[in-house]
Amino acid sequence: MKGAVPTVLLATGLIVGGGAAWLATSHHSASRSPVPAEHFMPPPDSAIPKTPFGDEVRRGEHIFREPAIYASAFVGNQLRCSNCHLSAGRLAGASPMWGAYVAYPAYRSKNGHVNSFEERLQGCFRFSMNGKAPKLGDPTLVSLESYAFFLAHGAPTGVDLPGRGFPKLPKPPVAADYQRGAQVYAENCASCHGRDGLGQSSGGRVVFPALWGAQSFNWGAGMGSIKNAAEFIRANMPLGLGGSLSVQQAWDVATYMDSQVRPQDPRFTGDVAATRKKFHNNANSMYGLTVNGGVLGDPAMTPPAGTIPVAASSAAPAPVQSE
Amino acid sequence: MVGAFGVHRLALSLMGALIAGNTQALADDADVLAGRRIAQQGVLAGHVGCAACHLENGAGQPDVGIPRLAGLHLDYLDQQLSYFASGQRQNAVMRPYARMLDARQRQQVAAYYASLAVPRPVEADAPPLPLLEQGQRIVEYGSADADMPSCSQCHGVSGLGVGDFSPALAGQSAAYIAQQLTDWHDGSRRDPKGIFMQAEALRLSHNDIAAVAAYLAALPAPVSPVSVQKDLPR
Ligand code: HEC
Ligand code: HEC
Ligand code: HEC
Ligand code: HEC
Repeated sequence: MKGAVPTVLLATGLIVGGGAAWLATSHHSASRSPVPAEHFMPPPDSAIPKTPFGDEVRRGEHIFREPAIYASAFVGNQLRCSNCHLSAGRLAGASPMWGAYVAYPAYRSKNGHVNSFEERLQGCFRFSMNGKAPKLGDPTLVSLESYAFFLAHGAPTGVDLPGRGFPKLPKPPVAADYQRGAQVYAENCASCHGRDGLGQSSGGRVVFPALWGAQSFNWGAGMGSIKNAAEFIRANMPLGLGGSLSVQQAWDVATYMDSQVRPQDPRFTGDVAATRKKFHNNANSMYGLTVNGGVLGDPAMTPPAGTIPVAASSAAPAPVQSE
Repeated sequence: MVGAFGVHRLALSLMGALIAGNTQALADDADVLAGRRIAQQGVLAGHVGCAACHLENGAGQPDVGIPRLAGLHLDYLDQQLSYFASGQRQNAVMRPYARMLDARQRQQVAAYYASLAVPRPVEADAPPLPLLEQGQRIVEYGSADADMPSCSQCHGVSGLGVGDFSPALAGQSAAYIAQQLTDWHDGSRRDPKGIFMQAEALRLSHNDIAAVAAYLAALPAPVSPVSVQKDLPR
């Protein structure tokens, strides 16, 4: 079904023909080989209307780019939504918001029911941002939803658009390996993200985000799955040189990255083995396994989940709500 | 709640200041002094010092494309000198001067220029506003359509550079920036780390290059966290 979508569009002449307003060819996609060449193009920022709705869209974009500032009550690390959803949620192959918006409501096995788009957003705060989910209907979610809705302007709903999510990656030729991953990391990633994976700042702002440690995503996050991480990395990293690692290197370095210490899974049952069994019982998660003599997720060496800075969490409502 | 927000920001910027302070603390005073001598007099009789082109205060000569060295990261300066000397970074003007230095002297002169406060730029005619706006857009946002990361993703939002990975661009000579970008656009690699800029510059048109160069040159240059200069005996 997924593969059929572009073919159907081609057959009906939508890509080249009239009425193709929502499809365009990215000029440089050849350099990021796994990313589909033809995909939906979101409207430019200059198309945000000067209306109360437009204000909401802009607020959503601010939150997306700087959640620790504009949604501080819900954020527990130094990441930004745009660190993973590149070009502030516009870039095909980096889980763009236009691709996501039209795909909800949808059933998710992660929680076993049909999720609205807002509910999907809640998960991002709880896991990727190691924070706290805003309540449904919270202005933070309304702003983010407005921004995603704006980016998806003119896209068909219910279609798995080419460029949504991360490009699928074949299995590695040989089983992924932590040691080889460490080497790929040292050669291709450490200059930006640091040997210690903790990232780098300039002028008091994080430029290269933390890949692990207390300021990164927690054990419940999508990027903690080796498969997701390998797909993201192969298409998008090293920054500006996406598509340059081999399939094997992408799996190896993803395995290395996802075998490091990071904040606890907020669904932690109190027991690492039980938590693994319940939420991580698959080959893509290293949670609960022993690496370098330590058990990943062991509370003794694992930063806590949901660490909102005290100043921010007592500051209700969040700054963005009062703008 | 505005207060709480302020505290958070302050903590972040304090952290930044500490990090910046650390990187500059590496230079030791004796190195800086020896480096100043090299900058003033050169190392071989009959050859000018670096100051003849980059000036003693490290301001460079923006209008003719001689880059500012003051306040750039010590390791970056040191690396570039070794690339000029080995020919990995090809430049006929710099090559002989870089080759006159041994590894120790490279480090000393790098320490000297890294320690300098950034001089106030000379007043120049302001570039046209639309050009600056185009430059700002590329520097801050890049282009999702062209799959081009923004300059700020690697050089920091204010163009201050990141550690020894990427150099500061804020307040650098526009002519120099444009020349480097054009060389990369035309396929030069410059040095091993140039692979990032080669990919980036390929996606810039000549007009884009003029725009980012104008915008970056107009950004306020970094304030040096440590100025060792004032304590030095003349
Ligand atoms: C550490 C990287 C990371 C950060 C930070 C992050 N996300 Fe995500 N996001 C992902 C990954 C990985 C997925 C795919 C997860 C999966 O398939 O399970 C995803 C999926 C999504 C989706 C669903 C996409 C789709 O096509 O179904 C939305 C919407 C989303 N994120 C929004 C956000 C927002 C809003 C923020 C900031 C509050 C955010 N994300 C922060 C990594 C991240
Ligand atoms: C040129 C610098 C650079 C290099 C080299 C680089 N990255 Fe990144 N990486 C970035 C930047 C910048 C971001 C955030 C992007 C943004 O905010 O637009 C990022 C984001 C990420 C993220 C998502 C955010 C997070 O913190 O989890 C992951 C995962 C990642 N990089 C992994 C890697 C891996 C693995 C490598 C090596 C194969 C690598 N990167 C090489 C600059 C780099
Ligand atoms: C005759 C003029 C001249 C002299 C003397 C000179 N330089 Fe240069 N320097 C240049 C020019 C021109 C460039 C730009 C090269 C290019 O376009 O790649 C440059 C570039 C540099 C750079 C690269 C800066 C960057 O941002 O990448 C460094 C470092 C440097 N010079 C250091 C020195 C040192 C140290 C000395 C003295 C030992 C010196 N230069 C002497 C003209 C000179
Ligand atoms: C993926 C990371 C990355 C991005 C994005 C990036 N740069 Fe760079 N840039 C670097 C690195 C690394 C260097 C040092 C290169 C070297 O040592 O040869 C550099 C060097 C430069 C230099 C040379 C400075 C000097 O003192 O010689 C200029 C000029 C420059 N970049 C401009 C830009 C502009 C303009 C943009 C945006 C259009 C940009 N860069 C985007 C990583 C990046």
